[in-house]
Amino acid sequence: MNAFDLTEDQQDCLQELINVAMGQASDQLARYLDTFVYLKVPKIEQVKSEQLLVTLNQDLKATAVVSQGFFGYEGIRGEALLMYQPQDSNRLADLLGYEADELTFDEQIIDLSSILTTTFLNVFASQIDNQMSYSAPRLLSPNLGAVTQHLQQQAFNWDLALKVRISYQVTDYSFNCDMVLLIPEQAIINIKTVIDRILEEF
Amino acid sequence: MLDALYHNITNRLNTGILILDSDFNIVMWNRFLEVHANKKDNNVIGKSIFTVFPELPKKWFERKLSSVIQLKNQSFCGWEQRHHLFELSHSRPITTDSHFMAQNCTFLPVEVEGEVKHVCLLIEDVTDVCHYQTQLNKALEDLALSNRIDGLTQAFNRKHWEECLASEFSRARRYNYDLALVMLDLDQFKLLNDTFGHQGGDKVLIDTAKSVNDLLRMGDMFGRYGGEEFAVILPNTDLVGAEEVAERIRQTIASNTVDYQGRSINVTVSIGVAVIEAEDTRYEDLISNADIALYEAKSNGRNRVCLAKQCPTKETIVA
Repeated sequence: MNAFDLTEDQQDCLQELINVAMGQASDQLARYLDTFVYLKVPKIEQVKSEQLLVTLNQDLKATAVVSQGFFGYEGIRGEALLMYQPQDSNRLADLLGYEADELTFDEQIIDLSSILTTTFLNVFASQIDNQMSYSAPRLLSPNLGAVTQHLQQQAFNWDLALKVRISYQVTDYSFNCDMVLLIPEQAIINIKTVIDRILEEF
Repeated sequence: MLDALYHNITNRLNTGILILDSDFNIVMWNRFLEVHANKKDNNVIGKSIFTVFPELPKKWFERKLSSVIQLKNQSFCGWEQRHHLFELSHSRPITTDSHFMAQNCTFLPVEVEGEVKHVCLLIEDVTDVCHYQTQLNKALEDLALSNRIDGLTQAFNRKHWEECLASEFSRARRYNYDLALVMLDLDQFKLLNDTFGHQGGDKVLIDTAKSVNDLLRMGDMFGRYGGEEFAVILPNTDLVGAEEVAERIRQTIASNTVDYQGRSINVTVSIGVAVIEAEDTRYEDLISNADIALYEAKSNGRNRVCLAKQCPTKETIVA
């Protein structure tokens, strides 16, 4: 067990915080998007930097990835990756309430990513008495080859990250995407401190 | 005291700040916007943002703001998706060709006692970023192009042309399409070089490549195969069609005159034509069949088109 491993209690607590956040987030999204949004049970695991590419590729054959950084008090920070598959693209403008010709596909997934990420993380932050700020969402690349290339070219300055993967399903629009939160080393320690405090109060 | 400080800093920021109420009326803006929009305070404060900035996409903007208010989330609009929202002047009017300021806009919900009644817009000038990124993209495109093109003749270079042939070959195999290959070689080019010098030879290569290129259809792929040898990939073309193209090329080149330093150079080409055959397993087979036909055209007296032998003949040879 290394310093970044979560104990069983810590893991349970984080899982519970995420579950509650997911519930509230899907409720807010449903009201905003006017359709049901299902969030599947999240997967929490540790990932080594050199394995990131492999695990992301296994997760899905993403064709577009939108990245958005988040940062709050007490050193809670990380990067959210929203991953899309090609068949997801057709009715996004519809879903978002825009006219199809009002915005490009790139703008649609960036807009949706931002909404999904910030909605979830805002609720999550309020659970731990925190508040998040966000960087502007960036489209990493419009196709898989380039995403893989992009990640391969990075010399990551982290070895280990906490990875939380949540799948979104909007059945009315037969649309799926995955949100992967990656929390780097120091931030894991900071999250563990917060979790320990919650466990104590509990 | 603190208010005055805030006011001072707000007005010195190189970022636009604009606060809207939920009816889209402008409550406050800072000096950055006042200067770049070049509008007077009293024509702006309390007015609808759509009156002050009629260039805004109204429906889009309303939907964007409603998401910020309803979800209490911040939202973004980047220059890569929309170059600008507001028609503002920028700080590099001389050294960039951008008419309006490229913008990254952030929409922040302003929450008071749990309710969002105002939205704050932050508008950053990213004309610089936009300018350099555009230049970079252009340079990358040029680089990709020069990687595919033969500098002298502007035809595809050997490497790229061969990649095209490989992919056309496998496509033709997969879907059972026709595929033809035309290889042409300038006749007695060495003699021509000796007579007119290498620059004269270069001029012949350039003019010949241009003439051939003008005869081709969209989708045909024309490359420089070697020194004075060119090759054309003709997708979805059978032997009759390919022979027609080849004959047209031969006649055009033969009737053209290349002007070089006041002298006229007449050139002819020998051409070999091959089509994909059932027993061809690699694209190289197609090349060597066209090559054999080209050799035949040469040895039969040049300035002519020869077709690769069809399957039955080959079987005879094998037998």
